[in-house]
Parts: sequence; C-alpha cells; structure tokens
Amino acid sequence: MKISLGPVLFDWGRKGLTAFYELMAAQAPVDIIYLGEVVCSKRSGFEADELISVAKKIKQAGKQPVISTYGLVMSEQEQHFLREVIAQAKEEQIWVEANDMAAIGVGEGGELVAGPHINTYNGETMDFLADVGVNRVVFPVELPATAMKTIIDGQKGAGLESELFAYGRLPLTFSARCYTARAFNLHKANCQFKCADFSDGMRVKTQDGKGFLNLNGVQTMSDPLYNLLGSIDLIKQTGIDIIRLSPQSQNMVEVVHIWRDCLDGRMDAEEGITRMAELTGDQSGFCNGYFYDKPGLDFIANPA
Amino acid sequence: MDKVEVLSPAGNLPSLKAAVDNGADAVYFGFRNETNARNFEGLNFSEKEARQGIEYAHKKGSMANITLNTNPRADDPSAWYRTVDVAAEFGADALILSNLSLLKYARERYPKLPLHLSVQASVSNYEAINFYQRHFGITRVILPRVLTVEDIRLLSEKTSVELEVFAFGGLCVMTEGRCFLSSYVTGVSPNIQGVCSPAKSVRFEHQGGQLQTRLGGVLIAQYEKGEQAAYPTICKGCFEANDQVYHVMEEPSSLNILEMLPEVLDAGVTCLKIEGRQRTKSYVGTVTKVIRQAVDAYYKNPDQFRVKGAWQKVLNAASEGSSHTLGTYEESWQ
Repeated sequence: MKISLGPVLFDWGRKGLTAFYELMAAQAPVDIIYLGEVVCSKRSGFEADELISVAKKIKQAGKQPVISTYGLVMSEQEQHFLREVIAQAKEEQIWVEANDMAAIGVGEGGELVAGPHINTYNGETMDFLADVGVNRVVFPVELPATAMKTIIDGQKGAGLESELFAYGRLPLTFSARCYTARAFNLHKANCQFKCADFSDGMRVKTQDGKGFLNLNGVQTMSDPLYNLLGSIDLIKQTGIDIIRLSPQSQNMVEVVHIWRDCLDGRMDAEEGITRMAELTGDQSGFCNGYFYDKPGLDFIANPA
Repeated sequence: MDKVEVLSPAGNLPSLKAAVDNGADAVYFGFRNETNARNFEGLNFSEKEARQGIEYAHKKGSMANITLNTNPRADDPSAWYRTVDVAAEFGADALILSNLSLLKYARERYPKLPLHLSVQASVSNYEAINFYQRHFGITRVILPRVLTVEDIRLLSEKTSVELEVFAFGGLCVMTEGRCFLSSYVTGVSPNIQGVCSPAKSVRFEHQGGQLQTRLGGVLIAQYEKGEQAAYPTICKGCFEANDQVYHVMEEPSSLNILEMLPEVLDAGVTCLKIEGRQRTKSYVGTVTKVIRQAVDAYYKNPDQFRVKGAWQKVLNAASEGSSHTLGTYEESWQ
C-alpha cells in the first residue's frame, strides 16, 4: 500500500510551502506528494513554473509529484492558470490532479488524477474517466467503504488506481463566499489575506461549545481530524491502492511515520492512535464515520 | 429579442398544473425515489403521473423537464438508467442530469433527447462546459449559485450552451453536488440519497425558555421566545467562530433575483429557474405568477422596468425566513 501526501489546503505562503516540501521530500516515507493550490486563487502560493520546479525536486527525491488544481474554477484568470500549469506539467511528464471538471477538460488525454472533488460515485464513471486520461481516482470523502469496494471490483478492466482520503481535516465543500473574511466582516474582494493567519484553519464551535467545523477561506472542513488508522484491515480488504494523508501544520513527518509503521505491521493501530493523539494534542479528537456509512463526524472506536 | 424562459418546480401533479396555469414556460419534476435531489417523503411523481404531467404541459403549450440529478448507486444503478429510458419514452423536453455515466448512457442511447447539465454538476466555467458539450452534447447548463452577474455575462460570451440560473427560492451557497455538509452530520447526502438535511434527523427542542434546532444531534441554532425558527441546515446555522456567535456562512434567507432582473437578462441568460419542488401547490402558483408578470413587464418596456412593491410583498411571504437576498449575483455578497 502506498502513502500519498495530499495537497496543502491551507494558506502557508510561498516560504512556508517551500520549507514544507523540502522537509517532506527528504524525511517523510511517502510515495506520492501532491502540491498546488486547491482552495483559493488569491493566495500567494507557487506560480506555475515554481510548482514545476518543486515537483522536479520531489521527483529527484524518489517520490511521484502530482500537481493539484483548484476545487472551484470561476474566473478567466483561474482558467488561464489551469491551461498554463497543465501544459507545463505535460511537458515534464508530471501528472495533474483535477478538482473541477475544468481541469479534466483542459488536461484531457494527458496524465490525470480525478481528485476528491470530482464526483466518482460508481464504476461506470471510473470507466468514462479512464477514457479521457484519468489514471487514478481519489474517492469523494463521503463514499463508504462498501461502495468503494463495489466500484474497485466492478471496473471494466480500466485498472485505475484508487486513493482514499484517510487522514486530516475533511474537505467538505466550497463556496463563492469567503468565510474567513466574513468572520472579520470583510468581503472576499478585500479579504486582507486573513487565511494566512490560520495555518490549520479557523475553528467553528456549536453554541453548546463542541468543535464542529473548520473555516478555510472558501472551503469548509471538519474540525475533528478524519483518521482511518484504526481501519487498516478494512482499507486493505476494500482494495485501495493509496492512502492520502492531508497536511496539517504540525508533526507531519511523525504522522507519516506512524502510518507507515502501522501499514507495514511494525506498530499496532491502538498504539498508533494513542501516539497520534499525543502528537496532535487534539481537542476534538478524531472522526471516521464516512468510511462506515455513518455521519462523517462520528467516531467508531472499535470498528468491526 | 428572445424572451427568457420561466421554469417552475413541481413536486406533484397539482403543483405542475398550478405552474402551467400561472404562466410557466416549462416545469421540472423528478420521480418518487433516490434518483433526484428532492427525494422527500410524499413528494414527486410516479411514472403514470409523469406521463400525465407531460401531457398536461404539452397540451397547454409548456415544456416538461425531468430531473435525474443524483449519482447512481455503485451496487444498483438500475433506477437511474430506467429514468433515462422513461424520459425518452414519455417525450420529456429535456433531461436534467449531472453524473458522467448517465450523461454517457443518455447521449449514446437517445441522441435526440436534449440534455441539461444539472446544478448538481456545479459547473461554473467555460472549460468545464466545453468538456460536457464536447462529450455529451449538452444544450444547457444550470449554474451553481457561485457566480456574480458579471461572471455570468463573461461566461455567456464564451459558450454556445444555454445558461439557466436560479431566480427565486432556497439558496444553496455551496458548490452543489459537491457539498458534504449534510452527510457529515446526518449520514444522508443530496448527492447519493437525494436529500439534504433530512426531516428524520431534525429536532426542535425547548431548553430553558429557548427553542433549539438540531440536525443529527448537532445544535444548529437557538431562538428566544417569539423568534421565528428556521429549518435547521448547516449552511444557515448559527455557530461560534473567531470569538463571535453568528451565522457563520449565511443567514436563513431566500434568493430573490427581481431587483437585478434587467442585469441578469442582459447577461445572456436563457432561463430563470424557480426553486422549490418540496413546496406547496400554492407556492408554485404564486411565485410562478409573479415571476411571469415581472418578466413580461420587462420585455414590454425594458428601459422603464421597475420592481413592483406588490410583487416583492408576495415573494417575501413565500420566502423561507421571510427575508430575501440577491446572494452571489452581487459581488459584495462574497
């Protein structure tokens, strides 16, 4: 089973991202690293040529780089950026993760990954995506393990790789409105780049004080970290090829090591979860419900 | 100039008739199962009713579109394919759908059946529209509520596919079809089961003089005595963030495009859609009538168009939360 590092969904800036990818390329036992802005085109991440150059360094470190793209594409500038980065990636034989059908359209016939924001809910959709250049599918986070297994088993020989979002704050949806700006009574057009002050997003609690959601600009996420570390047997039975860990600002190298050790049987899941809880020191704990066809925010402690 | 089309919702046959009788150019409806995104108890059409509905609409010179906008279940997609077959067989004027496998099936099997790309595909740019047009020959796209009127104008210049926009009704503020908020707390998804915030997961509870609304056990909002409580959906919930308690995403209000009608029509829109297949026959009839009057008044004399107070009064009364917004059509909303 391979491990991928999903795209950084938060606004860490060019400097933060550069340091993160240097560290991960050198020290994290992952097979695949996704990079590129998914949430908001206003953020000061990498330009197209910078993305390509970081991707090449990742390749030199022996890992597969994949360029991730926007989850919600609206403007001419965003479409221009897609065309530019996809053309450059093609030249360097680097795969591109589509998170809006615009990227499937622009990258058609190239080497594509259908990201978690592309609606892959059944085997026939997988077969169609294979026909337009998709090599790998990251399932929508709300899809239960049973449906994933049906899809994987039922593919008509397309043989697409399947990837599972297994760790991190769940990317639940996008909006045109920026909720981080709204929390400061600002509009998106004049957001003052508030996202940069929230390296793991802004917590939303219910009025009875429970951690609930997480605001990340135009994206809404789960507050608890989704964590399928206790579900490795079921992940393997489901036929998943790759598990995706979504970057958080702290301890990602250690988190990856725990996953690698658990996957390879060097550590049992219980110990892994305890160590991870210590590392993240997380107030809201973990959730894993989606995988078991339950509400996503549920945590099933002893999954059968 | 070509008049914009007024498209009304129908949750049952009486609503369909109310829409047609009050001037809808077209109606849309779905079947009584998981194949459409208003899969509510006691709502929607049997195949027999669908046939009758289409017949009624056609007899009165209106069109009838069938909604098929959830994703087929991985283990048993038969009900979804059946809906495509039925839409073609019954002579629906268009099939509204979003899933890639269904689009492919419909295009290959029924090349003459017009395909409208559902809002559940959340397509908001011409590169994506071009893709769907190239592969499936879609003739229309229903735009998600993420674009400003200016965005829509620019989009219409870049595509030959017709644009349909929401004019009135419930306001989804997310990328529809790609929103997992409902399943996050209830386990039920508009994308799979066709239900957002199902009634069976809703609780209204009195707690120390306050009314609390809960969805899947999660506290969505609380109200003082006398305050009007909204149906609990996450995107209209009142939560704490950044040390304040407020409607973190959006207030419980409805979309109402009338104030921007001239700009929206000028942007190159082909069809104005009224939301609300889950609403009553009286809602459908009333709202259809007002939108019809407003559209007709605009074309009679575009330069002199003014929104009438009487129209707004009727529409406000039909709104959820009794307040309205222009939503994302106005950039400052974002």
